[in-house]
This record gives sequence, C-alpha cells and structure tokens, in this order.
Amino acid sequence: MKPMLSTDLNVAETTVEKAKIEVKNLNFYYGQSKALKDINLSLPERSVTAFIGPSGCGKSTLLRVLNRIYELYPKQSAEGQVLLDGKNILDRSQDLNLLRTKIGMVFQKPTPFPMSIYENIAFGVRLYEKISKAEMDSRVEQALKRAALWSEVKDKLNASGLSLSGGQQQRLCIARTVAVKPEVILLDEPASALDPLSTAKIEELIDELQADYTIVIVTHNMQQAARVSRQTAFMYLGELVEFDRTEKIFTSPREKRTQDYITGRFG
Amino acid sequence: MAEHTVASFDEDLRQISRLINDMGDLAASMVGASTRALLESDNALAQRVVSDDAIMDARQRELDDRAITLIAKRQPMADDLRSVVGAIRMAGDLERIGDLAKNIAKRVGSVGVSAAPRDLTHSIDSMAQMVLIQVQGVIQEYTVGDATALAKLRNDDERIDVKYTSVFRELLTYMMEDPRNITACTHLLFCAKNLERIGDHVTNIAENAYYVLTGTQLPANRPKQDETAMSAPAA
Repeated sequence: MKPMLSTDLNVAETTVEKAKIEVKNLNFYYGQSKALKDINLSLPERSVTAFIGPSGCGKSTLLRVLNRIYELYPKQSAEGQVLLDGKNILDRSQDLNLLRTKIGMVFQKPTPFPMSIYENIAFGVRLYEKISKAEMDSRVEQALKRAALWSEVKDKLNASGLSLSGGQQQRLCIARTVAVKPEVILLDEPASALDPLSTAKIEELIDELQADYTIVIVTHNMQQAARVSRQTAFMYLGELVEFDRTEKIFTSPREKRTQDYITGRFG
Repeated sequence: MAEHTVASFDEDLRQISRLINDMGDLAASMVGASTRALLESDNALAQRVVSDDAIMDARQRELDDRAITLIAKRQPMADDLRSVVGAIRMAGDLERIGDLAKNIAKRVGSVGVSAAPRDLTHSIDSMAQMVLIQVQGVIQEYTVGDATALAKLRNDDERIDVKYTSVFRELLTYMMEDPRNITACTHLLFCAKNLERIGDHVTNIAENAYYVLTGTQLPANRPKQDETAMSAPAA
C-alpha cells in the first residue's frame, strides 16, 4: 500500500512521496479572462494523476501549462510556479525544447506524422540525439514494445503511420512520446476517440508506464479516471476543488461539488 | 440531495430503497410474529411467518436484480455507489433475519403449550422485545439518515448479548431443576440463540447503513459479552 495522501486538507499534500511536479499559486489567463485560479497541487513521481471536471473547468489548461505548450498561442499567460524536480519551468530561462523532451504529451486525436511507422518514432529521437542506425532500430523497437504495438507492426515498419487503426495510431503516438525518454507524460483525453478494446489497451499501457514515468491524464470518463489513476484532482470553474486518493474521490469525496459532479447531479 | 441529471437514475435508486424499507418492515413483522407465536403457541401465526419468508426471499432476489442492473447501467459513484452496494449487503442481512424468524416459528409446535410454562418464556419475551426494537430502529434510522443513532444502535446490541447470556443461564437452571423441561428449554435456547443472531444481523445493517451515509467505517471492535461462549458450544 502506497502512503496515503493527507485527508485533512482539501488540497492534499504528499509528504512522504517525492513530488515530481509541484504547482504553486498558479493563475492562468486567456487574454483578460482568468482560466485557472490559484492552483496548488503536488504530483507524486511514478504514479498516475487524473484531472477531472466538466468542460471549461480548466483541466486541459492546467495540463497545457505543465509543458508550456500554451505558449504556441498568443495572449495566453501563466503566473505562479510549476516546479519540475524543484526547478520552475515557467522561468524565462527554461529551454523549451529540453522541457518538452522531459515532458511528453499525447492528444485526444491521434496525430501520427504522414510518414512511415518507423520514421514516426525515429523523427523525434533524431531531433535530440545522434545515434547509429543499429541504435535507432533498437530504440524504435523498444518504444513500440513499450507502447504494446510492436507485435502488430513489426512486419510493416515502413507502412505509413496513417494506415493504422485509430487505437494503433494512438499507441504509435505514445511510442513516439516514450522514444525520446521523457520523465513525465501528459495525456489529454487519450482514449476518448477510441473503441472499448483500444481504450482497454491504452489503459493497460498507462498502468505499465507508471512504473517508469510520472503520468497526468485528463479525461471526461470518470470510470477511466477511477481505473487508471492513483490520485484524482476535481476542477471546477478554474479552481481545484478537491485533490485526493482516487478511491477516496470516487467512494466518499469530501466536497459536495465533487460529489454532485461524479454522481451526475450537476447543474 | 439534488436530483440526477438523468431522472430515471433517481427512480432506480428510489425503487431500491423502497425494497430495503419493505424488507425491513417485513423482517420486523416476522420477528414480532414468530416470538408471539412461540409464546402463545399460535400455530397459525407461525405458519404465516413461514410463508412470509418466501416473500422475503423474493424481495431480496428482486433487490439484487435491480442493484446489479443499476450498477451495469449507471456505474454509480460516491454516495450512489455506497447506497447500492450497501443495499445489497443490508438485503442479505434482512433475508437472514427472515430465515432466523422462520426457524423460531418452526419450533412453535415442538415447544408445546404445557411444556412451556409462562415463567419459562418470560425472559425470551423481553429479549424478543429488545431485538424487535433494534430491527425496527435500524431501518428507521437509515431512512431518516441519522448516522449517530445508527452508531448508538450498533452498540446497543451489546445489551442483547448480555441478555442472551442471562437467558442461557436461566434456561440451564430450569433444565437442571426438572429434566422434563429439557425438550422445551432446548428449543427455547435455540430461539434465544436465533434472537441473538438477529441482533448481530441488525449490527451488520447498522454498520453498512453508517458507511452508506458517512463514507467512513465504524471502528471494527465493539465490546462483545457473550459469556456463554466459554461454557457452551455454539448453537
């Protein structure tokens, strides 16, 4: 049994486990509009954290702050601190390319590049590392195995990534993320466009990956959050309402708003 | 509690709690009727308890079906999840209470009028009253949502255990005084044991109901005082 999160506070702190990411007094703005309000939370290393909440609650925004991908868009800004291993990634001196090798991201819709399965993975690795063909072959194989896709594609590595099914494409994207050896993986609704079998494979994969990576998943599917995560954050209107062990959130949440949302009594 | 966005979800939950209420009422009526039948040697009343048990079993099967279907259809969470799982477990205990009441009723013929003089049955009567109050109380408190009362009710079972111990000793004395009492007293002893077991099921129900209402478990250890355990094999 892993140490329990504190149940005394609405925002539970992990005192025993090492925090991989610590969010401190984070505020986020889309232009003038405040999308995240004073968020404080701590994501333990090598475990899965789920962000849940209704549309527009800020959960995807929070995810997008964690690797600063929001900076691709104008008029979006973050205040406060996001500490990765104690170092503030919101700091201007942070090298964004380096940050994104450390923090990989997988999106709702599979986004394979229009190139071969092999190249989909090798492409990203080549951006950061110069390695021999033999090493690259091995890296691609390892990544595909990690993403539980190897057995399905090993005989057609030169086929286009786009020729795969939706579920396979999503696992290819996870393989691509894993190939650059990140420390954190952000998953934004990774299974919402997939059939139940592909969803099950992704969930199985998440379960295996947490041995090596810190994983954050945004999902609308509460049963999925309950299945895959060890701690869950419920967000509403840009606020972090409750953050606790997943079992606690789904069996006896402390906050009425959490209770209303997860039991389907909202609004 | 606010309504669900899906209104039929509320209706499904209401039907389950209605069944728990029905089963609770039936359990109380069976416990009351079976001991009255025993004390008054009323065979017709005893028969009614036996046939009520079939109704109890049917209610439990219906509740199980509804609860399983609800879980499959709605995937309930938090208090909804607790109330559905709690209902399944409480229904199991209520069904067992029905069985025990039936067992008491079936002994009515065996104890007999002449063999069970009033003074012999007096203690059983007062024990039965204590148990009946517990059975009625537990469903009542669950329905009104009084967790504090449920915690107290669970502890009150201790009084039944103490009572059982004294009934046991009393019956033992009667048997030693006059061996002709042995048959009747043995049956009464089983009845007392059944009543004590009913009390234990009420305790389980109170614990489940408390968890459903609060999301936290009552502490595991409640003082136990069944002193007959040392001097008598379990019935």
